[in-house]
Amino acid sequence: MTIISPANLKRLFLILIVAAVVAIMTGTPGSSTASPTTGVHGSFMERVSWFGLFAAPRWLLFLTLGVIVWLLVSLYRPRARTIRQGIDHVLAFPKELSSRKPTRVTLIVIALVVVILLPKFVHESFWMYLIVEQIGVWILLALGLNVVVGFAGLLDLGFAAFYAIGAYTTAWLTGALPMPALFHHPIPTLWVIPIGILAAMVFGVLLGTPTLRLRGDYLAIVTLGFALIIDDFVETQSGVTGGGVGSSPVPHPSLNVGFWHFHWGISQTPYYYLCLIFVVVFIIVFTSLEHSRIGRAWVAIREDEVAAESVGINPLKYKVMAFAVGAASGGFGGVMSAGLVGIITPGLFTYQVSVNVLVLVIFGGMGSIWGVALGAIVIQTATSYLDNYQPWGYQINDLYMYIGALLIIMMIFRPAGLLPSRRRRREFAMAEGGEEMHTDEVLSGEQP
Amino acid sequence: MSDATEDGVSEVVVTENPVVGNDLIISAEHLTLRFGGVVSLRDVSIEMRRGEILAVIGPNGAGKTSLFNSLTGVYQPQEGSIIFTPAGAAPLSVIGKKAYQIARAGVSRTFQASRLFMALSVFENIKIGAEDHRGIGLVGALVKGPGTRRGEHRSDEVVIELLDFVGLRNEANLIASQLSYGARRRLEIARALATDPQVILLDEPAAGTNPSEKLELAELIRRVRDERGVSVLLIEHDMKLIMSLAERLYVLNFGSVIAEGSPDEIRANQAVIDAYLGSSHEEAS
Amino acid sequence: MGFEHFWLSGFDQIHTAFWRYLAVGLQNGAVYAMIAVGYTLVYGVLGLINFAHGEVFMCGGFAGVFLTRDILGNRVGTGWGSVGLVLAGIVIGGLVSALVATGVEQVAYRPLRKRHAPKLAFLISAIGASYFLQTLAGKEFGYGVNIFPGQVFEPGKVMFTLFGTPINTITVVSIIAAIVMLVVADRIVRATRLGRGIRAVSQDAETSSLMGVNIDRTITITFILGGALAGAAGFLYSLQSGIVQNAGTEIGIYAFTAAVLGGIGNLRGAALGGLFIGLFGSFSVPFAFEGNVQWTEIYTFLILVLVLIIRPTGILGEKSGRTA
Repeated sequence: MTIISPANLKRLFLILIVAAVVAIMTGTPGSSTASPTTGVHGSFMERVSWFGLFAAPRWLLFLTLGVIVWLLVSLYRPRARTIRQGIDHVLAFPKELSSRKPTRVTLIVIALVVVILLPKFVHESFWMYLIVEQIGVWILLALGLNVVVGFAGLLDLGFAAFYAIGAYTTAWLTGALPMPALFHHPIPTLWVIPIGILAAMVFGVLLGTPTLRLRGDYLAIVTLGFALIIDDFVETQSGVTGGGVGSSPVPHPSLNVGFWHFHWGISQTPYYYLCLIFVVVFIIVFTSLEHSRIGRAWVAIREDEVAAESVGINPLKYKVMAFAVGAASGGFGGVMSAGLVGIITPGLFTYQVSVNVLVLVIFGGMGSIWGVALGAIVIQTATSYLDNYQPWGYQINDLYMYIGALLIIMMIFRPAGLLPSRRRRREFAMAEGGEEMHTDEVLSGEQP
Repeated sequence: MSDATEDGVSEVVVTENPVVGNDLIISAEHLTLRFGGVVSLRDVSIEMRRGEILAVIGPNGAGKTSLFNSLTGVYQPQEGSIIFTPAGAAPLSVIGKKAYQIARAGVSRTFQASRLFMALSVFENIKIGAEDHRGIGLVGALVKGPGTRRGEHRSDEVVIELLDFVGLRNEANLIASQLSYGARRRLEIARALATDPQVILLDEPAAGTNPSEKLELAELIRRVRDERGVSVLLIEHDMKLIMSLAERLYVLNFGSVIAEGSPDEIRANQAVIDAYLGSSHEEAS
Repeated sequence: MGFEHFWLSGFDQIHTAFWRYLAVGLQNGAVYAMIAVGYTLVYGVLGLINFAHGEVFMCGGFAGVFLTRDILGNRVGTGWGSVGLVLAGIVIGGLVSALVATGVEQVAYRPLRKRHAPKLAFLISAIGASYFLQTLAGKEFGYGVNIFPGQVFEPGKVMFTLFGTPINTITVVSIIAAIVMLVVADRIVRATRLGRGIRAVSQDAETSSLMGVNIDRTITITFILGGALAGAAGFLYSLQSGIVQNAGTEIGIYAFTAAVLGGIGNLRGAALGGLFIGLFGSFSVPFAFEGNVQWTEIYTFLILVLVLIIRPTGILGEKSGRTA
């Protein structure tokens, strides 16, 4: 195949457009007061130094990069399939490695050892904070949403609500809200943990029962609507929730068992272990569920709800269960955050937070517990690194551009995620191959 | 015919010759089903005797699948009644119940377009049908106590028995999408039988199969009734298959029942012939 | 006691300023209606909620804003100049939005269609596109920075007085422009070959393609049409409220509520839904507890949630035969 053909030139054109967009994405920000094209202009005209040798405008840099990419694509196009298979192979390696039981057990043991001993090596409070708050809490959220989206196939755009319930329940019961605690008797934070989890689960049932009858995309909108309502409502009720300002500081948990006395304080390490214990517990619980009758029912509902009903499965019941189970993890994340961060504000539970959790789950591989945990670690680490070190003129909010682009690219090329569960990969591969899937049909969509 | 008695799972009525009971297992009366402006079923009344192999035939669009969907709770007819009488139990009304409730009560079905859980294995497909989906079972799923394990063991046994029954033992660990078309049809029947139903509704079970697969399926369907005592209600287009399998037929056209009777009676029925051949036959004569 | 007082005072406020609330409601309704049509058309042909549609609206708004600012500088528009500027703003807004909408379709949806991706993938891709556009706009034009168009009309210019209430020119212009464009859109969908293609694909894509309808082209045209309307709405909206990078999120949800209310897939329903939501939002302002502005949002989202739960097919019912 020739390099200069109409189809290939069209490809060059498209690649150059992409290069231009990337140039803008990575370039200078615009200015709100000056002309609207300031940012775009700067992104192209700014002179950057090439390896310290000479300076050239950015447009030249990106033009060159674009042409190089185009040449590479043209040359390797015939082998595209092999390359893609190669990439799949590499990405599947961890899964294949862990498919043998002894290897898997060894890996888990190693991981456990590393994770338990980690605080010994990491002293800097910045990193500990990062690990607990940025990664630990988000792993909990991602695990919870994974049950809802990954196991049961329900698109929930308001998962942060469960997180919020856990946190606000904690704040209330420990007396940190303007509204007085139950019976005017604040409870020690540690005892709130089961209550917070339960509250989130109950809320999951309450929210799920009327809404989970809806079809996929409508469910997404309804959960979004509820999330926004709750967000707004919390802000208005200053008397109860502290409104936009938030709550007073929530006391750190403390444990008093007979003579043994332990108090969580500013230090991150005890929180790290608290979080770790619960992450392990939730992983064990969710894995058990996955391989139980309930897990199988979720798969059936996800694959073909009509067929599932025909064998006696009550879809609503199982969907509500998924909400409740997922909410448990989200709720605990909220309780822990309340103790850790201290001051609870509505800003912690916005739509963006919900979508962030969704990104972690999608990226890691929905339905795959380890995938989701890994996804959370990777993305949150990247986020924190970028936010704090800001390489190459990166700006804080730029991250969302990349996340947006990542979501689209992932849906096109690797919808099953980083470390997908075997079933999901099969489902996506079959859909691509044209196998008729009934995953999104609900009864009334059928024609008579 | 073999004398097959099940142990452990459930009682099965054994029939040497197709002894069809006189009592009705399903009685549907004056069903009318409307969708927006379209009338799918028009005053349809069907009676099914316990233990029989009953067929519903008719040209495309006659309302056969709508009838099935009404009998299984997928659609709710605006008028009429459907009474299902399980053996040795009180009759219950199908209309007003949800599809999964009707399935649990003993009415199973297969679908016109195969609706297997394609990404799951053959074993898992049947197992999902065999498990008891009542209750919440959250604690059981987590703690895996003796009760849960017994239940799993029981459903595993049911699955293995059904795999043998439909002849898919060797394919148990294959993914459903890897099966041949005929094998998929048999898997669907196995899954539908996993809920231990009293009556099974088969929607074009032989559609798209080749002649040898068709023979296998016909044999299987007969065995479903003869060996397991499950009443069979069948939609099919293959006339030879129907005439050899069914003891009685209903003929639907444009949403109404136009004829009912034995295969011989139906074959000779003018209205039926007209329905299939259209008015050209009238003009010819 | 306080509760009764709250309701009474609310109705009292409506009584005193009825025509003002009505005018504002109609003005907002015009904007929502135009955006809602975009949602409904895309849902019709793709069966997909275009999450990025709000951002399409926002982009058109920015385009119109910057054009008028560039043209006018510090001057104020008068007479026929004003009319010309409004048209220019609408046209450029529509063009830019149509372009953005097509871009989203080609990049985020078409590849998934070719791969027969499940609905979930489309939704996620849509969210990704929405995030991308909003952040890009924020990067280029500032986060949370509300920008107004050039002064197309004299500030606060009143066109006429209705029962003692002054009605702004912007209000009248918005309403008239919206009506004209919605009627044109309705005509296109009902009476042209293009529109027949859109309706055919909405009903049954497979059969339509067998009948010779070019599905890809029809979908592109649907996005262009919906996008153009949203972009024009963006400019009209900016005349009154300015445009900010996250305007798409909130207004998008309002418009989507309107589309669902009117029966998704139903163009006239979407327009009427927009009208209703605009009026509802306006008349609910006196009923905000403690004057918190969030209450209007809460009430509107409540409508969305209630409609979806109770009657997902909308008040007027879906035309494409889909139900929830």
